[in-house]
Amino acid sequence: MKAECAECGAAISVPDDVIVGEIVSCKDCSSEYEVAEVSGGGVILKAAEEAGEDWGE
Amino acid sequence: MKLSITFDRLRWEEKALKDAAASMGLSASLVDAKGLAIPVPGKTAELGDAVLQRCVGHYRSLLLSRTLEGVGLKVVNRYAVAEVCTNKLATTIALSRAKVPTPTTFLALSSETAEKAAEELGFPLVMKPFSGSWGRMVTIVRDRPTLRAIIEYKEELANPLEQMYYLQEYIKRPPRDIRAIVAGDQIVACVHRIAPRGEWRTNVARGGTSEAFKPDPELKEMVHKASEAVGGGVLGVDAMESSEGYTVHEVNNTVEFRGAQSAVQTNIPEKIMRYVSTEVKR
Repeated sequence: MKAECAECGAAISVPDDVIVGEIVSCKDCSSEYEVAEVSGGGVILKAAEEAGEDWGE
Repeated sequence: MKLSITFDRLRWEEKALKDAAASMGLSASLVDAKGLAIPVPGKTAELGDAVLQRCVGHYRSLLLSRTLEGVGLKVVNRYAVAEVCTNKLATTIALSRAKVPTPTTFLALSSETAEKAAEELGFPLVMKPFSGSWGRMVTIVRDRPTLRAIIEYKEELANPLEQMYYLQEYIKRPPRDIRAIVAGDQIVACVHRIAPRGEWRTNVARGGTSEAFKPDPELKEMVHKASEAVGGGVLGVDAMESSEGYTVHEVNNTVEFRGAQSAVQTNIPEKIMRYVSTEVKR
């Protein structure tokens, strides 16, 4: 599946077996997106959260 | 029994845990914590009976676990465990009280006392944030001028936590540390994390690589004690090899294991899910 990078307009390749919540990134500008919805052979992306100071394991 | 795996950033680990649950015939759903609004008091039927907490944001993880336990759900790891593990000072205290060897640590409540604590510890020493992970902001401080420079920077920051200091003895160790992945009373995997060239920290998030090894009885005992000290569960116990034996420096409660899985044959997510499935039925 393909999606468009909202930042630079490049095409982002999204694996067909992607699931909601997964992170994909633009190869051109490195912007990160979270998969918000998968339906009808298409995918809707939203901007991924930026790493917080409290992120970790 | 319906289980949810809550996340806020879906990593390889969460997908592997869900796949492992499916292979065991366990009903487990991935649930984005960012999409939740939980009534208190109230019911959260969408989450089922129990939750495996895997949020990457510590505050989100703590608040969610506290709330879910509060409305009657079983959470792994328990909130009390997360509270200890997400606070490095609380972890140090728990380890110390349980007589698990851990580096000498000072809490200094001002820049002046930070310098006094540094005198006691000697240089180099290690400065860490009170919470956080992946080696972020963990600094080796080699001398007094460097310490003063860091303090000057921190004094300019607005967050009050930046005006207090977690200072720790520097442990001379090989360019590696130990990550033991624990599920209950079982050590699921044990790896050395090897620091990348030019880097002091060994975190896989910093480019560290993992190599499997078999823990000796001394290390096994220490890992179990460290795990019990923080309340047990699915944990990543980090230890170092010092000239005086092993010393435990951190315990992670949302343990990442992709690096370790690349080095061991054991199916780590399956072992974790077996523990979780038993634990949530208690």
